[in-house]
Amino acid sequence: MRKRFADVLRLLVERRVDFMVVGGVAAVLHGAPVSTFDLDVLYSPATENLPRLAEALHELDALYRDPAGRRIRPDVERLAAGGHHLLATSSGPLDVLGHLGEGWTFDTLLSRSDMMRVADFEVRVLDLAALVEAKEHAGRDKDLAMLPVLRETLRLRSE
Amino acid sequence: MTVAPTDPRRASDTATPAADEAASGVDRTLIRWMLSLTPTERLDVLQGFVDSVEELRGGSGEGLQRR
Repeated sequence: MRKRFADVLRLLVERRVDFMVVGGVAAVLHGAPVSTFDLDVLYSPATENLPRLAEALHELDALYRDPAGRRIRPDVERLAAGGHHLLATSSGPLDVLGHLGEGWTFDTLLSRSDMMRVADFEVRVLDLAALVEAKEHAGRDKDLAMLPVLRETLRLRSE
Repeated sequence: MTVAPTDPRRASDTATPAADEAASGVDRTLIRWMLSLTPTERLDVLQGFVDSVEELRGGSGEGLQRR
């Protein structure tokens, strides 16, 4: 097994990037039996965080998944603009998000995240209740499809 | 082998377990199994799924993974 999800998370942690895992991988870490092919992370836009994130992405040989096929690399300037950065890396697809939904940011969700031990490192993960809210708020078909599993996982975890 | 219906223990052993589904149709047995794992093991399950699909496709995420 190539452990690419873990490798990306470990690199971000080792490079002291302020981020939290969101999306399907966060759901799996909380025990929801869902599948996803990409790793979604929400990053802090703090000035000191952006060079660390850009450097980690450089190490991952990240390029934007550009439908036009252009080879555009993420850098501090692009990351500072916020928004969603949908990347292809040497360790698979990585979505680097400046916000979730309508304005939920790393800072506003910090209190709704937990540190979780994965392999030999600790990583911040959006908590499951917040993840459910984010999916409800997003309201897209792919988010709504995942909601019954997330809600049931949340319920069973509290039993 | 025929199991005598008058033997409750053996009849119970051979009974097919009932499905444990939420009203939404979600399989609770899968969730309970995932919850019994550590976060590291859960991530390994997901990674194994992704790797298996990529192997079946005969590639390694071509187009999404930088080589």
